[in-house]
Amino acid sequence: MMSEPEHGPEKDVEYHPNSRFSQEIAAEPGGEYIRKCIQCGLCTASCMVANYTDKYRPRRIIQKILLGEREQVLASELPWLCMTCRLCEERCQEGVSLAEIFHVVRDIAAREGRVPKVFKDTVNQVLKDGWLLKDAFSDFIQDDRTDLGLNPEVNFDGEFVKKVKKRYFEQGDKEEVKDE
Amino acid sequence: MKEFVLYTGCTAPVRLPQYEASVKVVLDKLGVKIVDMKGANCCGAQYVESVNRHAFAAMSGRILALAETYDRDILAICGACSGSLKWIKHSLDNDWKLKDEVNRILADEGLEYTGKIQVKHLLQVFHEDIGYDAIKEAIVKPYSAVRLAAHYGCHVTRPYDIVRVDDPENPTIIDHLIEIAGATAVDYTGKTRCCGGPMLAMDQEVATKIGMDKIRNIRAENVDGIVTACVFCDIQLTQVQFGEGAQDESRIPVLTLPQFLGPALGIEPSRLGIGYNKISPSRVFASVVEV
Repeated sequence: MMSEPEHGPEKDVEYHPNSRFSQEIAAEPGGEYIRKCIQCGLCTASCMVANYTDKYRPRRIIQKILLGEREQVLASELPWLCMTCRLCEERCQEGVSLAEIFHVVRDIAAREGRVPKVFKDTVNQVLKDGWLLKDAFSDFIQDDRTDLGLNPEVNFDGEFVKKVKKRYFEQGDKEEVKDE
Repeated sequence: MKEFVLYTGCTAPVRLPQYEASVKVVLDKLGVKIVDMKGANCCGAQYVESVNRHAFAAMSGRILALAETYDRDILAICGACSGSLKWIKHSLDNDWKLKDEVNRILADEGLEYTGKIQVKHLLQVFHEDIGYDAIKEAIVKPYSAVRLAAHYGCHVTRPYDIVRVDDPENPTIIDHLIEIAGATAVDYTGKTRCCGGPMLAMDQEVATKIGMDKIRNIRAENVDGIVTACVFCDIQLTQVQFGEGAQDESRIPVLTLPQFLGPALGIEPSRLGIGYNKISPSRVFASVVEV
């Protein structure tokens, strides 16, 4: 009779994350449940982005966070590829919200000045105009709106965002996230 | 009857004004009174949301506080906006520090968020405030022999604990409304999957592949049209059909839910802005009106 392979207490296996990155994320609103992840991969299996690009594997990003690869994760564009569609979150058996965790990662990256250009440009546009499409709003659109029985004016406020910008974004330009 | 203050968001008024117009005409027909929110700002979805939690809370929080000055619940017609407003409302109602922070920045304008108003997506107004029975009674020109696929929008239905619109795994409101109006609601693979719209900023190629995945799954069911309830989804599912690789196949009309309901309620298509749809939905309307 063959003897069972010895498992028992893994005296030879030591698990040391490289940093306290997962604790750092768990301390922020939305990041609380990251350490409940059991690395089953249901998120990657559900993900439409992962379905169409091999570079994006949400389970692996969570794994890197759990392993404490702080610099690698924050310097990467991958956490910015989540569409926050929450299909994975709907299916996760452990209650882990990847959309929220990636928002926390983005928030931390942004505090360190690492924001992909398209996000930075769009945020700057919104904080300048108060809304997204001021540049696209033309006489032609006004004519269409009149034709549709709508008020041709769209009446957005451009003042409040100046306060938002001053209070939360007055930190100057910083480095951008690099492509992988 | 119920009254709402309409928050259109940034995109509908410019890129999909026919949605804004048809929402107003159809809700008016069904006895719901709408007033426009004036002096609003972007809700902060996706972009500000990604880079600064407090700034996002301030932007959506201001819209919630503005609605309080109208003393009406908010009607949101865009998935991104309804999702953001509901998310921030939930955060403000459960985090007094965040609420204090938001109210500090709102105080300059004499605004205050107290939490007394609710945020409803258009689907909820049809389902909860008007109700299926009243809509059924209002149908004067039912569709016949028209097959339609519902696309709900991720941020409309998820996360359920916050948005509370419909079953996130098996949503049914649009399907019910399609059937009530006399058409056939068709199921398809990947119904609750994303349209790919949120990926446009970072990777347009992947965004288009995700959108076309949905179009292919819908096409396999031989439908006459797609019915949407989100500005971005409607635009994305239309646009991907004009990309490379889509030219040889016939395009499937994409129309917003009120544009679909309107003709069955006896509303002239011109008042629903049907002419502004990039893919003519005439085959959808053939059984009810001449377009």
